[in-house]
Amino acid sequence: MFRSRFDIKSQPGFGFITLFTFFALYLPIGALVVYSFNDAESLSQWGGFSGRWFVAAWQNSAVQDAAIRSLIIALWAASLATIAALMAALATTRTAPYRGQTLKYAMINQPLMVPEIVTAVALLIVFSRIKVWTGYSGLGYLVLAHTAFCIPFAYLPIRARLESMDLTLERAAADLYASRWQTFRHVTLPLLRPAVIAGFMLAFVISLDDVVITEFVKSGGQDTLPTYMLGQLRRETTPEINAIATVFLALSTVLVVIFFFINRKKQ
Amino acid sequence: MNGAEQVAIEARKQDIRSRWLLSAPALIIIFVAAIGPLFVMLLYSFLVKGDYGDVKPWEFSLDGWTSVFFQRDIFDDTLGLADAHVSIIWRSIQLSFFTTILTLILGFPTAYFIATRPPHTREIWVFLVTIPFWTNLLIRTFAMQQVIRNEGLLNNALIWLGIIKSPLQIIYTDTANLLGMTYVYLPLMVLPLYASIEKLDFRLVEAGYDLYATRFQVLRKIVIPLVKPGIIAGSILVFIPSLGAYVIPRVLGGGKNMMLGNLIEMQFGAGRNWPLGAAMSITLMILVMVALIVYVRNASRGGSGHV
Amino acid sequence: MTESRTTAAHGGAIGLHGIKKWFGNFQAVDNVTLDIRPNEFFTLLGPSGCGKTTLLRMIAGFEMPTEGQVLLDGADISGLLPNQRPVNTVFQNYALFPHLTVAENIGFGLKMLGRSKAEITSVVNDMLKLVHLDGRGHNPVTQLSGGQQQRVALARALAPRPKVLLLDEPLSALDLKLRKSMQIELKRLQLETGITFVFVTHDQEEALTMSDRIAVMSAGTVRQVGSPWDIYDRPAERFVADFIGETNFLSADVVSVADNRARVRLSSGAEISASFPADVTPSGSVTVVVRPEHARAGAPTDTSALRGVVHDIVYLGTDTHVHVHLDDGTAFMVRQQNARSGHCGFSKGDTVGIDFSDDVAQILRD
Repeated sequence: MFRSRFDIKSQPGFGFITLFTFFALYLPIGALVVYSFNDAESLSQWGGFSGRWFVAAWQNSAVQDAAIRSLIIALWAASLATIAALMAALATTRTAPYRGQTLKYAMINQPLMVPEIVTAVALLIVFSRIKVWTGYSGLGYLVLAHTAFCIPFAYLPIRARLESMDLTLERAAADLYASRWQTFRHVTLPLLRPAVIAGFMLAFVISLDDVVITEFVKSGGQDTLPTYMLGQLRRETTPEINAIATVFLALSTVLVVIFFFINRKKQ
Repeated sequence: MNGAEQVAIEARKQDIRSRWLLSAPALIIIFVAAIGPLFVMLLYSFLVKGDYGDVKPWEFSLDGWTSVFFQRDIFDDTLGLADAHVSIIWRSIQLSFFTTILTLILGFPTAYFIATRPPHTREIWVFLVTIPFWTNLLIRTFAMQQVIRNEGLLNNALIWLGIIKSPLQIIYTDTANLLGMTYVYLPLMVLPLYASIEKLDFRLVEAGYDLYATRFQVLRKIVIPLVKPGIIAGSILVFIPSLGAYVIPRVLGGGKNMMLGNLIEMQFGAGRNWPLGAAMSITLMILVMVALIVYVRNASRGGSGHV
Repeated sequence: MTESRTTAAHGGAIGLHGIKKWFGNFQAVDNVTLDIRPNEFFTLLGPSGCGKTTLLRMIAGFEMPTEGQVLLDGADISGLLPNQRPVNTVFQNYALFPHLTVAENIGFGLKMLGRSKAEITSVVNDMLKLVHLDGRGHNPVTQLSGGQQQRVALARALAPRPKVLLLDEPLSALDLKLRKSMQIELKRLQLETGITFVFVTHDQEEALTMSDRIAVMSAGTVRQVGSPWDIYDRPAERFVADFIGETNFLSADVVSVADNRARVRLSSGAEISASFPADVTPSGSVTVVVRPEHARAGAPTDTSALRGVVHDIVYLGTDTHVHVHLDDGTAFMVRQQNARSGHCGFSKGDTVGIDFSDDVAQILRD
């Protein structure tokens, strides 16, 4: 019996399970994308290749409305979250431990530890009461809620970058008579830029994708794209939903690819 | 204390102050829109429910909490177990547990396989796992719905292959919830497992083979004990979202197979029992905390395993 | 355990026949044939990249030869997996299982083989005594010092009573003093257990200290096999002479050959007697090697084998190295053991004559 090598790492059957897992992971989304180009009305029969559902979705005023609202909220939330996260990251990194630091850290990362439905319901309670007191029922609640759970996502990459940054560069700037603000603006910030962009993109995607909290916090008629889709899923669906989903999918994929490349560049 | 030390102490105090100031926006936002509301919810769980939802402000009662597990018999007013609630909570725990097991069965070999590929190929595999991970939860749930519906992909394929005559009722069952959660949370299991296995020193595996271990023994006695942190991390990352699942059971489970998340929602909708909903939410949080504690305990104990 | 350990039955014989190994385009081993005898302490010696570790891994089963066979006691084991071979390895980085205790590590092999708990406990205790670690069985291995970890690795590999023990530069991570005491330990263990040891190192002093026989390797081939004395005193070729210890190289012309000795003429004109490798008949121009400690320097006479001028004197505590520029320009070093005064008797610039006895010069194969 002649082998060229004894592979200490291989385990029997694992390759097969892996292939099956990837197949299972991609089959549903693959089918979803394929059927978004389905000419037939019903989702279970193939009627030929057609882009009409994309057109239909594009022209659907409810979809337009929801999409615009999603983007507005995401832009606001991601921007506010990134700024807040940047400041918080600067405040919590590269320092000797002090009182309250762990508490701060836990608070900033809280949205990752509490189930979404719990936060959603709590926000529903609070915002309802505020709506009663102030009568305001605009997008503000949604922006505020989104910003809150986007902060940890913007925080993580910025913090990681700060921790691994070379302190001596800033010390050199201080040595050259730069004030703290100048050091920040001309040395720290440019070095942080990829991490800040990554944090923003992360927050943006997270906000766009959110379903649960948005569903509970929104007032009537304030659908975002995900909540619109959720509502549609209860009824007889046409491939129009597939089309919207495919666009969403494409957007996520593009962002992941960009994110991957930014990370690659860092190395 | 000399002058230099005093200056240093003052500078340190100033530094700490400015750090608190810098982190203020983030902390305020999170307090107002994430943590603070949790306390308000706690308060609401002790209030009396209003006739059309919401609460009767500042009337207190323990009904919200007792209704989580108990109910009053309408005829003789005795306190019995709220079967519907208890069974839903118990089923949520069971489903979460089985989802964790299923993702482990599929996820461990996958993570191991990816981690043992040559470095360049590895990146591609990880990338392929990351894409579903970043895909919207709703989209993935929807995709799953399309597969397991009565006129969906799976049934159509099985009928076409002649294996079955009429469609299997998978959707709107507990199995649908299980499949949906496994599908959605699988990447959450694979990624931390992968991170752990990638760090494994395979020279230890070599030593195992040198000492007469079979492939299975190497897996059981060397790889798995050393990868335990990853297993624990992955399990938490799957179990906890599963416990609080809302979208998946809503889309795939239909009205009859509610999980705790849907039960909670009901109290704010048709149920019109906000205090009960609040109490249930806090119950869910407690369950999550318990799970976290159990897992963390296991993680630290797993430092020295046994052969 | 009361059974005698020095029974010949324990040590296995390893045969490597016509072994060639390619990794892609790189040839790591080029036609190696070696026979390692039962119960011997055999060392593979050579610089990094010479293929010695690859050979060791082929005996263990982690690499398969591209061509050739690996034999154990005459049987071809080339196709057997590592866990099927009664051969154990002490790895360079010890590879101790961090999640197990000392005792669990040592007993690992026996447990994999399915031995009874009682037997495992008994053997583990014996092993702990053997490597002077008794009482430490319950310690996690991560708490041990480097030297202690090394001994655990040793005990772990010995516990299953293999026929052959492979050691891959096991002492390289230890400091000098520890290394020297471990060398003595290893030698003692090999004698006590009777197991064949195949030892890989790049440290020639280590090889000379411990081995019954040494194979000197370079660039995937075995250049010479022999006892430490053979290798040191009768190097067959330039690489071996150069790699082991310090040597002087002299050009010479062959005058005559009789029995197993040759007469050669050195550049100074003097004629000396020299030995030569068994498979060579020297003729024409050859290179002759003389070890520094075999040469004596003194006042130059007409019968001196070589003459030159002292250009450097290095004092080393136990010896002095006298570096001489010979008349023909070549460098020559004489090593003298120091007298109590510490002075070697020469100063820089002195003219000296160099002599050596009849039996120290060796002709190289090149």
